[in-house]
Amino acid sequence: MLPNRSRTSVLVFLLPPLLLYGAAVLFPILQSLFLSFFSWNGISDMEFVGLDNYVRMFFADDIFWRAFLNALIYLAICLVLQLGGALVVASLLTSLRRGRELIKTLYLLPAVISTVAIAFLFVRIYSLEPVGLLNQLFQWVGLGALERPWLSDVNTVLAAVSAPEGWRFTGLYMLIIYAALLAVPKELEEAAVLDGASRWTLFTRIRFPYIRPVWITTTIMATTYGLRGFDIPYLMTNGGPGQSSELLTTYMYKTAFTSTDFGYASTISVFIVIECLVAVGLILFLLKRKADS
Amino acid sequence: MKNLFRAAAAAAVTALALTACGGGNSTDPSNVSPAGEIKPREISWLLSRPADGAVINIMKKLADDYAKEHPGFELNLITTPDRPSYIQKLETLAAANKLPELFDTDATPFAQQLAKQGKMVDAEKLLKTLDMYDDYRPAALDYQRFDDGSLYMIPFQFELEFIWYNKALLEKAGVGVPKSLDDIPAMCTALRQAGITPIAIDGQDQWPLERYVAYQPFREAGPDFIQKLKKGEAKFSDPAGQKTAIWMAELGKAKCFQDGFSAQGYSDAQNHFTSGQAAMYNIGTWELPSLATDKLNPAVRNDIDFFTLPTTEGSVTAANEFVSPSGIGMAVNARTYDPLVSDFLKFALEKYPAEYAATGALSPTTDVETAVPANATPLYQKALDQAKDLGEKQAMPWDTQLDPTTNGRLQQELVLLVQGEITPQQFTDTMDKTIAQNAPKFFK
Repeated sequence: MLPNRSRTSVLVFLLPPLLLYGAAVLFPILQSLFLSFFSWNGISDMEFVGLDNYVRMFFADDIFWRAFLNALIYLAICLVLQLGGALVVASLLTSLRRGRELIKTLYLLPAVISTVAIAFLFVRIYSLEPVGLLNQLFQWVGLGALERPWLSDVNTVLAAVSAPEGWRFTGLYMLIIYAALLAVPKELEEAAVLDGASRWTLFTRIRFPYIRPVWITTTIMATTYGLRGFDIPYLMTNGGPGQSSELLTTYMYKTAFTSTDFGYASTISVFIVIECLVAVGLILFLLKRKADS
Repeated sequence: MKNLFRAAAAAAVTALALTACGGGNSTDPSNVSPAGEIKPREISWLLSRPADGAVINIMKKLADDYAKEHPGFELNLITTPDRPSYIQKLETLAAANKLPELFDTDATPFAQQLAKQGKMVDAEKLLKTLDMYDDYRPAALDYQRFDDGSLYMIPFQFELEFIWYNKALLEKAGVGVPKSLDDIPAMCTALRQAGITPIAIDGQDQWPLERYVAYQPFREAGPDFIQKLKKGEAKFSDPAGQKTAIWMAELGKAKCFQDGFSAQGYSDAQNHFTSGQAAMYNIGTWELPSLATDKLNPAVRNDIDFFTLPTTEGSVTAANEFVSPSGIGMAVNARTYDPLVSDFLKFALEKYPAEYAATGALSPTTDVETAVPANATPLYQKALDQAKDLGEKQAMPWDTQLDPTTNGRLQQELVLLVQGEITPQQFTDTMDKTIAQNAPKFFK
């Protein structure tokens, strides 16, 4: 228990960031909630429409559901690449004797490159005419039949825009997980090895349970970033062709700033906020339950 | 905690109420010659034109000249050449009631709402007061007009859109210049068989593909079709709408556009054509400096020519009527319009046409002669001469006509239609439904 005076000082120091958080995060969310009950194009008079926007979103908007589904697929691809990739690379790193620093830096590099540069880079990589790196690779290894305009093909575009985002942050999560793996006590591992545990048992029974708290945090981080994904799909395809790579975020942005339908865009943004909260709640619930059992 | 929520909610409501009330104080938009003293100050022009283009360079120079006589005057040019980003910026500023003295806009439904709210100065009155109205090409002014014929934007350009083609490639495939729009799909098939990309198109920016959907209805039903379509008075299921939906699907089936076009940008498309890989390229006279001068790749320079939009059988518009835009127009903010803005516009608009024509571009006025640059190919003069023989009607680009939601959906669905992902019937159903949903809000 802190003495009275220092408790006051803690409160005094906590207050400014709390106020800032309120003004920068809570206020806009409340404002969106408020706007979602109105029809407003920015220059007309605001018209109260009650729950009309919500009814439209859930029952009369095919693009919304398409974008929601796309966002889930986008999230799944990002999570597999980011968390799965990070775990594999981090585990391999711990068994490496030399060159760890170099490999760590190389993997982290994409995370420091600007998004716009990454988007343009990948537009070139996926290009068919002039032929880009990916299609060129397929030609070289004799898989010419797989050549295609990745960003124009409705079947591949969603995966194609998800991959750069996944690739980009693999290094970051790898670093976090790697740090956690380093903290696993060596004597535990040695004891297990003496008892004849295989590498797989070692990983599932000792290492992973030990890094679980870090794993939960990274999962939450990756999920919320994935659900908020916007820039790379927006820059690479602007949601197209058709709605094949439209995410909830890009759809919301277009609704607000292209269609100037601020009321309806706020409705979508309220949905995104709730969706993120539900996702985090779900992760915590599932992982906690697993830990308890 | 409860109190905190209550306070936050109250703050949210107050802030919104304040922003909503901010739009009241506009001056009379028809008062084009405000009385009073000219007080030099800095004024801004929010525009969407190339940063080192002729319009900006000339206006900068004219503003400097004006500032010499009026110390303290400055013209602050804020350009966002990328059109979708610009429109977002403009609409956000309009929503916040923070538009500068001058701003660019097409004759869109959104701009019409601004005009209706008295936020823009009546350009027709303004030009008439300056005694310049009759100097402008009627087509240049018509392009800027709203449906009701009112004029709130001043043009700074005049362009003609042609279909440029490579004679050698057409010859190689054994096809001639199309006599009718309906000849194009068969032409594409022949070109593809000869291993040539028929048409290079910038799919990323979406408006180039949207041009094509406008062509058949313009020939079949004239310029009225889009005016009715956007309000829901005409439909894609009407004969003219069906003709364009089926034609677009045919273009796609004949693989008219380069593979993966939807992810290719403006310069990709142009390079595809100027490097001799694509046979046709639909673009306006703003590209004359790169298509009709010695800057053009020497390997194709003697093979390049152009034709104007082909007609069709039973076409209600003539061969000399096609897309002839006067570019994005400049609107004058009524709220900040004062003797200074009025005086500067008078000064600049009078001197602008001569300066602009000297750069080799077509002026929106007819009182000056365009100077053909020294490095031009004969095609340059041929293109300029087309402006002398124009019909009365012009094909309007649809992206300036439709409400933004319908426009966005049309751009998306067109790609799917051309790629063969949806049928003309599905396209028709989706678009008619979208127009029915969104048009009433915009055109009430």
